Amino acid sequence: MLKQQHIEQIEGSKPVNEQEPVLQVSHLYKAFGDNKVLNDFNLSVNRGERIVVLGKSGSGKSVLIKCIIGLLRPDSGGIRMLDKDIAGLSHQELDAIRAKVGFLFQSNALYDSMTVRENLEFPLRRHWIQLTHAAVRKMLEEALEDVGLAHTIDMMPAELSGGMRKRIALARTLILKPEIILYDEPTTGLDPITAREIIELMNNIHAKYNTTSLIISHDMNCVRLAASRIVVLINGTCYANGTWDTLTKTEDPMVKQFFE
Amino acid sequence: MALSKPMGKFLTETGELSRFAGRFFAQWYKPRYELGEFLRQCFIIGYRSLPLVGLTAFIMGLVLTMQLRPSMVEYGVESQLPAIVGIAIVREIGPVITALIFAGKIGSSIGAELGSMKVTEQIDAMEVSGTNPFKYLVVSRVLASVFMLPVLIMLSDAISLYGAWIGVNIHSTTSFALFWTQVFNILSFSDVLPAFVKSFFFGFAVGIIGCFKGYNSSKGTEGVGQSANSAVVVSSIMIFVIDLLAVQVTELLGLN
Amino acid sequence: MNNIKLGVFVLGGLLFLVVLLYMIGINKSMFGGSYILKARFDNVQGLIKGNNVRFAGIQCGTVKNIKIISDTVIEVTMSLDKKMASIIRKNALASIGTEGLVGNKVVNIIPVQGDSEPAAGRDIIASKKMLSTDDLMQTLSRTNDDLAVVVSNLKTTVLRINNSNALWSLLNDNGIPMEVKNTLINFRKATGNAVQITNEVDQLMMDVRNGKGSLGVLLTDTSFATHLDAAVLKIKTVGERADSLALTIHSMASAVQKDMDSGNGAVHALLKDSSIVIKLNKSLENIEKGTQSFSEDMEALKHNFLLRGYFKKQEKKKQAENKKL
Repeated sequence: MLKQQHIEQIEGSKPVNEQEPVLQVSHLYKAFGDNKVLNDFNLSVNRGERIVVLGKSGSGKSVLIKCIIGLLRPDSGGIRMLDKDIAGLSHQELDAIRAKVGFLFQSNALYDSMTVRENLEFPLRRHWIQLTHAAVRKMLEEALEDVGLAHTIDMMPAELSGGMRKRIALARTLILKPEIILYDEPTTGLDPITAREIIELMNNIHAKYNTTSLIISHDMNCVRLAASRIVVLINGTCYANGTWDTLTKTEDPMVKQFFE
Repeated sequence: MALSKPMGKFLTETGELSRFAGRFFAQWYKPRYELGEFLRQCFIIGYRSLPLVGLTAFIMGLVLTMQLRPSMVEYGVESQLPAIVGIAIVREIGPVITALIFAGKIGSSIGAELGSMKVTEQIDAMEVSGTNPFKYLVVSRVLASVFMLPVLIMLSDAISLYGAWIGVNIHSTTSFALFWTQVFNILSFSDVLPAFVKSFFFGFAVGIIGCFKGYNSSKGTEGVGQSANSAVVVSSIMIFVIDLLAVQVTELLGLN
Repeated sequence: MNNIKLGVFVLGGLLFLVVLLYMIGINKSMFGGSYILKARFDNVQGLIKGNNVRFAGIQCGTVKNIKIISDTVIEVTMSLDKKMASIIRKNALASIGTEGLVGNKVVNIIPVQGDSEPAAGRDIIASKKMLSTDDLMQTLSRTNDDLAVVVSNLKTTVLRINNSNALWSLLNDNGIPMEVKNTLINFRKATGNAVQITNEVDQLMMDVRNGKGSLGVLLTDTSFATHLDAAVLKIKTVGERADSLALTIHSMASAVQKDMDSGNGAVHALLKDSSIVIKLNKSLENIEKGTQSFSEDMEALKHNFLLRGYFKKQEKKKQAENKKL
């Protein structure tokens, strides 16, 4: 059974491919009332990997990613990120970790009341990073050039199209040069062409900054193009785990339904 | 639980609001201080409300005077018109009308703004950007409301009195100096201070309820509209409740 | 820029608050120098802390405290504007009054003629008992009671006048003036008779002086002449009296008429009982009787034996004259 294999893999003393794990989720439980969304979920992500967590809507993917970033508190289980246990951290320490972890929201979460520039400056200012004006401008320009939208710097989010907003949100995530980027459904609500552009952008950034990516998605295009490894989330657990090629060939009906 | 559903909902909401207010009191004095955002909110909440509040205050003073005149004339105390209008404006009309206008403008805008921020995950985004959204959004707005509403009420008192002076002058001629003297002669500290103190509470009620409704907005655009609406309704009711409490407390303290 | 606007906004609000409080403070003499004066009263008539103190009608301070010293002495401590320290003298009088008819109580400090030192702080100035509104009201209420009695009396009087048949009959009775008139005519007649008699007596005397007839008896009897004189005088007086009586009745009638018209009457005493009318009638009757008896006297005189001849002669003369005519 795939599930069995995976658990052995995590609990083994050494990861198979000799790389350091930057994110480890072990025995994670989270319930809302009687609804057990996460039920003994385990995952390990190594540096430089591009993991896609695949699951149906409402299967708990977003809950997982919010537990990882600390927006939701798990009922039990451990989350270890960049050698720190998230659960035991103070606010300051958690913020320090978050400065190294980018989060791209499903709805972009651009601040409506601020211009693109202010949106991008916000994480810089908020993380107590002492920077000169010139340095800030350079970082802004770089982040906007990465997403190809340098000309929008003084526009309001409401003036931008959906794809542009996604790019700006990505630029805001990138501005702190995070080691890990968590993507919450990055292609949802976009047309296929724009979605493909966004995925290409994600891959470019991955290549340029050597970030680790954890992508939540149910979009198979996204999964195919972005993933170096795929985790299938079913019934609150890590049901299957493998590359695109291995999973497409599996006979498990639960997994197979995603790839048909 | 034999409680009916709406009753249970009401009690739950009251409990949640109290908890929310408790969270405000636990956090507002602790660093880090969001001074920039506080000033920005002061500008939006205070300065930007002045035209609306000023207009309503002016009309209120004028209309109140014109409405009171016939009865004053009937009792032969027309000369006391400035005094009675002054008392009414400073003690009650100024604070309450201004607070209600404020609730309509600011309560709804806070409710809608925080509601849409909640729905579009902007609040979460702040949290992951190393910001305590409660402090950044809630504490700054509530404090801005608390400090701006009394200022607005003072200005609206002044504008109302000006309107009242014009109202007096529609039918007779009273110099501004005489009007002013008559108003100040009748006023005492016990008229101004309770009104001034209660205006802080009005500001707090509007701010905290607006933030609570927005912060706990349910998903979807409908939820945002609902938060804005119920923020206005609940804070308007709270203004009257506080007003009732204030008058009883001042009575108890013998300040009347 | 926004911060500048915010600053202006906040300062504007605070400025108004400060002005408001400062103006009230000035009115309550809370700022600037103040000093204390005291006055003692036996009744402060509801004066309370914070009431105004006026010197010669000018607002100059407030009541700071009211303390009961004993059951008849209440000490009022006033906080006054320092500027008044050189103006209010030790002999000034404090009294408690009211602003307007039903307004707040005020302490009025009234300057008194005569030299005196300015009152220093904490001095006790004399107080003057003023008529309180209560007292005024009490007096007023007593007056009201009296007035009520007067009015009710007046009412009964008017009612009585209205219901008095006697008066109305007096006023309506056309016969009475007629009777009075008749009486007067009778008087005139009587007087006329008397004149004639006197003339006749004159002639008789002339005859006597001329030595006609046996009138010695008559001449010796001087008392007769005296009686005659007195009788004449009396007749004259009676006539005059009747005249003035008629006048009095006339003015009384018109006065009653006026009183009735104007609705108040001080004549009710006169009209209180109907007996007066009867009396009036009686006196008129008496007068008539008197006149009648006088006529009878005259007739009797005619038939007096002493004068019979004279009268006869006169009659004859008359008849002769009539015949001549």
